[in-house]
Amino acid sequence: MYHIESAGITDVGMRRKNNEDALFLDDQKQFYVVADGMGGHQAGEVASNLVVKTLWDYIKRFNGDDAVEELDDHDESLSTQANRLLAGIHLANKSVYQASQSNEMYRGMGSTVSTVYFTNNTLIAANVGDSPIYLIHDGSIELLSVPHTVLAEQRALDPENSKQLGNEFKHMLTRAMGVNETVQVDLSEIQCFKGDMLVIGSDGLTEKIDKEEIHQVVAKENPEKACQTLVDLSNTRGGSDNVTVIVLKIMDAKFSRGGFFKFLSKIFKR
Amino acid sequence: MPKLTLKFKDTKISDFLLEEGRSINIGRRESNDIVIENLAVSGMHAKIDSIDKGYLLTDLKSKNGTFVNGQLVATHWLGHGDTVSIGKHTLVFTYAEGEERSAGGAGGMDKTMVMDTEKYRDMLSKSSGNTAGTIRKKESTGVLSFLAGGDGEFELKKKLIKLGKDASNDIIVKGLMIGKTAATVSKRPKGYYLSYVGGMAKPKVNDVAVKESVLLKEFDIIELGPIKVQFIYKG
Repeated sequence: MYHIESAGITDVGMRRKNNEDALFLDDQKQFYVVADGMGGHQAGEVASNLVVKTLWDYIKRFNGDDAVEELDDHDESLSTQANRLLAGIHLANKSVYQASQSNEMYRGMGSTVSTVYFTNNTLIAANVGDSPIYLIHDGSIELLSVPHTVLAEQRALDPENSKQLGNEFKHMLTRAMGVNETVQVDLSEIQCFKGDMLVIGSDGLTEKIDKEEIHQVVAKENPEKACQTLVDLSNTRGGSDNVTVIVLKIMDAKFSRGGFFKFLSKIFKR
Repeated sequence: MPKLTLKFKDTKISDFLLEEGRSINIGRRESNDIVIENLAVSGMHAKIDSIDKGYLLTDLKSKNGTFVNGQLVATHWLGHGDTVSIGKHTLVFTYAEGEERSAGGAGGMDKTMVMDTEKYRDMLSKSSGNTAGTIRKKESTGVLSFLAGGDGEFELKKKLIKLGKDASNDIIVKGLMIGKTAATVSKRPKGYYLSYVGGMAKPKVNDVAVKESVLLKEFDIIELGPIKVQFIYKG
């Protein structure tokens, strides 16, 4: 079991009128999500809120290792919880897609999704779009999400040529929630440890603050304070986009090791 | 007002002034605002929309494509000095001296948008030039090759591979000191990580005990109790 301290806030920023970001945290189910919506009028807000709400509505039905109902896209190579998260993301994708198909006002809307979900002894990080998930472990910060932007994908394929790509590609997504009937999700399931920290954000966060700065703030302050500091920093620097951030700290990690080993390790610790 | 200078090779043909709020069409047909009479140019080849303070160039699925500064584009916010190539003709986009310059479409730039997947794949295959088949970087799969305590190879196809004594593990490792699940190998964007989970015996990578997680490099030697494997990338 992980013991987690968490906090999250979203802020409209200095330049935009609406907040198209959405977030949700639940320490009991240890489920955390950020979504960054897009689309004209109010559609961006509709999309991001629909993603967050649908995903949570799905996740909250389950406890621990409960099996997921068999879905067509059930992936044998993933754990029960990873499959559950994947199923929730697919469901959320469908609900946004259907809403956008059935209502002229919402045509073409979409959203990113970046989520972290804990099992008894692992964490699962999954994303669609460009909202970052960072893991801070042992003094270094690393991206756990895969940015689905034209620029990032080109950089990986062809570093030389990607330099010629204009700035507009930085925010041009190659995938998003609700744009097509199905969506491809990037997911990793990993071990994490006491003292590890996680940051989930919208791209408004990383637009103004680089990852080393994020690392410094999060390492120094408690989750609640760190969130506020990051949002304030982004707004001081112009705040051209909505800013959303969730900060998680792993306060303790305890795994059952079985009687004999528990006994042995007690002896050895003395 | 910014202008477009039409050239054929190095010879200047004419100038067009762009106006805020007015869209222009480029192509071979007479109905276009800028007519380029050349068979390499499609009837309706491209358009430039004035959006906010910026100018957005869009290729209208032309046969031979639209290039900006040598790069094939589907859409592009025009910036000062950009050279748009259509066939053998070029259009150079420039602002007048002292004129306020849009930072290449300030209006749309911060906005996130989703690229049409088909268009994107198309653009990719055209930009990468020579061999359209090679554009998708093959993701290589990690493999654990047994040196001791087992035979053959174990392909790391799952996102999370568990090693330990319990029957639920992917690789079962026997031994008194081995934990129920002793270690895991997980795939992250940066590569494969080996992590210690529990039990008295800690896994070792190149003879160094792993207390938490470590990024695996190709040819690393991993030991856990009686097993010894080498980490290799395949494909």
